[in-house]
Amino acid sequence: MWLEVRRELERVVGSEYVSSDPEVTFLYHWDFVTAEEPGVCDIVVMPGSTREVQEVVRLANKWRIPVVPWVSGVNIGGLATPRRGGIVVDLRRMNRILEVNEDDMYAVVEGGTTWGDLKGHLERHHPDLRPGVPWAPAGAGVVPCYLCYGFTDLSFMAGTGADFLNGLEVVLPTGEVVRTGSCMCTSYWHSRAPLPDLTGLFVGWDGATGIVTKAGVKLWPNLPTEYLILLADTVRDGVEAFKRVARKCTGILDMCFVNYTWLMSLLGYHEKEEDPLDPEEAGVQDFYGLIAVAASSEREMEAKKEAIEEAAGTGVLADLEAVMELFPEEARPQGYALVNPPIHFYNCWNYSYGGGGEWVGCYLSSRHVASYYRIAVSVAKKYGRHAQMYGRVMSGGHHWIARVNISFNKDDPSDIEAARRCLMEIDEKVRQLPSVVRYKAPSWAKERNFSRASPDSLELIKRVRRLLDPNGVMNPGHGL
Amino acid sequence: MGARSRLLAKLKAGEDIPGTGITLRRAPEQLELERRRPLSYYRRVLYFCGKCGQCRYVYQDAYWSRVCPSGELRKFEAYYLGGKNLLLWGLLSGKLEWTSKAAEILYHCTLCGNCVQQCQLPEIHNYALEWLHAARVEVVNRGLGPMPEHRRFGEWVRREHNPYMEPHSARLSWLGEKPKGKGEVTYFVGCTSSYRELEVAKAVVSLLKSSGVKFTLLEDEWCCGSPLYWTGQVDVVEELARHNARELEKTEAAVAVTSCAGCYRMLKQIYPEVYGVELSMEVLHISELLLKLVREGALQPERELSWAVTYHDPCHLGRHTGVYEAPRQLIGSIRGLELREMLRNRRNAWCCGAGAGVKSAFKQLASYAASERIREAEETGAQVLLTACPFCEMNLREAAEKAGSKIRVLDITQALSYSIKASRSEASQH
Repeated sequence: MWLEVRRELERVVGSEYVSSDPEVTFLYHWDFVTAEEPGVCDIVVMPGSTREVQEVVRLANKWRIPVVPWVSGVNIGGLATPRRGGIVVDLRRMNRILEVNEDDMYAVVEGGTTWGDLKGHLERHHPDLRPGVPWAPAGAGVVPCYLCYGFTDLSFMAGTGADFLNGLEVVLPTGEVVRTGSCMCTSYWHSRAPLPDLTGLFVGWDGATGIVTKAGVKLWPNLPTEYLILLADTVRDGVEAFKRVARKCTGILDMCFVNYTWLMSLLGYHEKEEDPLDPEEAGVQDFYGLIAVAASSEREMEAKKEAIEEAAGTGVLADLEAVMELFPEEARPQGYALVNPPIHFYNCWNYSYGGGGEWVGCYLSSRHVASYYRIAVSVAKKYGRHAQMYGRVMSGGHHWIARVNISFNKDDPSDIEAARRCLMEIDEKVRQLPSVVRYKAPSWAKERNFSRASPDSLELIKRVRRLLDPNGVMNPGHGL
Repeated sequence: MGARSRLLAKLKAGEDIPGTGITLRRAPEQLELERRRPLSYYRRVLYFCGKCGQCRYVYQDAYWSRVCPSGELRKFEAYYLGGKNLLLWGLLSGKLEWTSKAAEILYHCTLCGNCVQQCQLPEIHNYALEWLHAARVEVVNRGLGPMPEHRRFGEWVRREHNPYMEPHSARLSWLGEKPKGKGEVTYFVGCTSSYRELEVAKAVVSLLKSSGVKFTLLEDEWCCGSPLYWTGQVDVVEELARHNARELEKTEAAVAVTSCAGCYRMLKQIYPEVYGVELSMEVLHISELLLKLVREGALQPERELSWAVTYHDPCHLGRHTGVYEAPRQLIGSIRGLELREMLRNRRNAWCCGAGAGVKSAFKQLASYAASERIREAEETGAQVLLTACPFCEMNLREAAEKAGSKIRVLDITQALSYSIKASRSEASQH
């Protein structure tokens, strides 16, 4: 059968863009950071247009074989791993920026566009505009990030990546092409309103409801920006200071923080036995907050900074440059890079020398961020692990992100196993906090995520999926 | 953008890794590994790679432009550095079998190192070129390589001491009268200038004569070994190195100079570091020597050429040995030349596509990479694309001709030579 499938795929996209060579498909089996269980890519195809994606999906239906959308495979939960084999549709040839509308501040990008592609295009051709960019590498995909509620350096101002989507073009699991948002009935991609929000059929579904071939993404004015560091002794103190700032100050683009352990890994240091497993308990300053604030004039900037300082209260405020000067020279570059993502955060995944890392990441209420951290630290400590904490204030303070990463040596099965047990226990315990919802959850956490959902809601999700994908070919093993 | 610009300027101000032109923003606590070790030595570090894709883009510069000719042509991850890292890890871990396809992937690369420049994971940034080369040696040891074209020129080098299927006896056929006696400077011509890009060799000799420097050539120059070394055919390279070193020492010159970036890297870096063949003389690239001669007034490029030019950094000269500025300063010394930089320059320069056996075994890749560079050169509005390596010059010129480009491709020595010759002839007219 596979020979026949291959021949048909070659007819659609050309033989140079189809491969079933083990040396090529091997690289699609794994998520190479989390060391989650590998899947199998039987055949990989790289379409160059929406029409070709349609053809591929139709073939998958004809043969009743899985079809897995893929851009870069670095989204950290094994979300792009082909769980049931089949055809991986690698969208990297579809990486064009099709339009930038400067008046309405949006770009139309193809589904395989990466951060490097989008950021580079805007810096070169539209320097007055900027996208919201996560702390991700340049090779990661824009559209998958936004579809999975990724968060960016504009998330305080504008919310999650999903909020940045104005509309989509999607090849459905049955091969039809639909458009959502204003592009459904006009040639503009300016908003999702005021139509039925079909975009929601594809946001948060882990690529299980269709292959997005185009997206309208919001852009923002690229204003002069200053970066302030808010230091606090504990995460609890820092969170309270951030909440005060969020309520009282305008013009803030981003508010995020790391704990002592993540800061060390971020700057390029490696895990050592003498590093405190519980920095707060050891009396080490444990909250390092970054506030990015934009203004059109120096006067405006000074006023905004003054307001932030006043609101921060007991938190110590300093500018990023000054804080970086406190660290050895070789540790500073990663700090400098923070201001211009995408970023190569090499050390977050290599803190324990071995390139492995996985997180328990949640959307949650500000009320539970500090508790989340204390739970994570205490569990990690039990396992002798260093908990790297990272958080972000979203949507003007309406909700938060909290994430704890555990690094490990992905070449050492026992280390992976120990880290996984630790992560699972953290996951189990933080889930008891009433506001916690996991995001980009790996397969082992997915079902748990819905344990408190009402049966009717779950049934609706399943019904929608069955409706869209009657043959069950679209990314099986992912989504609910 | 205020603070952002300041911080990014600091980020970009990295330091060169000693002995290479690769710049790393230094990282604390990076592992120190040994160089020139067998592939298996690097297994653990290979798997540090998370296949994040940063190796596909210039990092924080040049509008995040793409950097990998091999990957950009073939598209599959296996053809980028991240893919190769993990493919090698899979091969070394027994998850994949060594096959001719694996060999093809590993050879489908010019080893230009641009990807390595961009990866910020210090252990990969510092050492990836070591394992990309060691992988080729491994492939040869396993009988899966080199590629047939490589084997053919390898055999020819063993027999006639050049990879161009030419007779050894014709090596100096371009040269009228061989300089007599010993010299302060020995010109190591290299195979490409001896057999293919004769104008480069002639320009060098003409310039050396004009400068009044006493120079000589080797009595019996052999291939420097670069095409063999980088295709993993390392068994014969030591013999070539020792022969050439003996010949160089016989000249008793204080300086060995070469106009080929590949030869330069071999003489300067690979001979001593890999084979322990230390030369008693200083090794210079021709751009370094000519710049010195211009500054001393021995050469006076006085005639205005009135060309807008751009400069292509050869990988062996730039990223691998750190010579970025001498060619540019030399261009700056020629009256009337206006240098317009390409977007991807110096450590981020896009490879011409010829090196490491690609031009012979993967013609489509060589042609694709060069045509992309020609397109980039054209974007600058330059009339002339200058480079400092005859192998780059040859590949770029062929691509320009194939594309019907109006841009003229020249070696930097040719431009200087025109300027000197013109000024002399003008002087004689007055």
